[in-house]
Amino acid sequence: MANIAVARIKREFREVVKSEEAAKCNIRVELIDDNFTELRGEIAGPPETPYEGGKFLLEIKIPETYPFNPPKVKFMTKIWHPNISSVTGAICLDILKDQWAAAMTLRTVLLSLQALLSAAEPDDPQDAVVAKQYKENRHLWEKTARHWAQEYAEAPKSKKDDEFYDKVSQLAEMGFDRHKALTALSAHEWNMERATQDLIS
Amino acid sequence: MASYFDEHDCEPTEGSTPFSQANNLLLQLARMLMEQGPELELDLTSLAPGERQAPPASKAAVESLKAAQISPSQAAKGASCPVCLAEFDEYEFVKVMPCQHKFHPSCILPWLSKTNSCPVCRHELPTDDPEYEEARKEKERAKEREAQLDALHNSMYG
Repeated sequence: MANIAVARIKREFREVVKSEEAAKCNIRVELIDDNFTELRGEIAGPPETPYEGGKFLLEIKIPETYPFNPPKVKFMTKIWHPNISSVTGAICLDILKDQWAAAMTLRTVLLSLQALLSAAEPDDPQDAVVAKQYKENRHLWEKTARHWAQEYAEAPKSKKDDEFYDKVSQLAEMGFDRHKALTALSAHEWNMERATQDLIS
Repeated sequence: MASYFDEHDCEPTEGSTPFSQANNLLLQLARMLMEQGPELELDLTSLAPGERQAPPASKAAVESLKAAQISPSQAAKGASCPVCLAEFDEYEFVKVMPCQHKFHPSCILPWLSKTNSCPVCRHELPTDDPEYEEARKEKERAKEREAQLDALHNSMYG
């Protein structure tokens, strides 16, 4: 990798480690290899969102041409959010595309992603199914997003969330894959009949 | 209801079969996109005009960027280049953008050959792209019109 990219990532890595946000456990980065081309990021689900209490892992790939081109970032933790693919974790965020600026850093990227979790942009969606639910049935979207955070991001569970667990478990007992069952239920307003139809078709 | 061909006062060229076949194919494509949309991962944004990164800064604008030397007091304060994040050395030569942000020449020049704005504050330099310049002027005019309307509104009701 080009020298400028390596030197910069080293500096940025220290910046994130020493940052105020890292001290509060809001953001974190880890190295994956010694050439600084791949990193693992982590952001905490922001308070007063369905993601609160969850930890979301990110795959961060640093291109050879960094910082003239943005890092390639995607969610490794499955998440229910209008601007993040529930299937692949791909992110729709302008600063990771055409609005990237060379003075942005890992820290600003992680904080922007955290802000995206607080304020979705349903009119510029990555996941059309989630975005539609967000716009048409906000309450159900919130419950579904919280359920995904509990299932995949270690967000704390509460008694009143049992209804969704029961539905996923019922489908799992019928022999369907747990994640596929959860995805089908989420996409069909937690209607068992329609989710089952989707799973067998 | 009148058919497409009646409405347009013409006849299907080779009977109606190829037409309905094409229709079926389109329907299939639409259904496929609806069902697999999120999984297809087509980066459609890269195709849409206006969503691309802004064009490079114009050659003239880059050539006319001012040069400056880092003073000992600036260096002592730990001033650094926002692109490579390395601290400037005393008396090091830097390029200064019109917004006063300073960079190593080897850091800012590659950036401006990609896109026209300051990496820190997005202050825009002119480009050599007539279409982009036209769109930018149009945006500015729209902003002005809005400001004028606001002023008018405020003078009447404010």
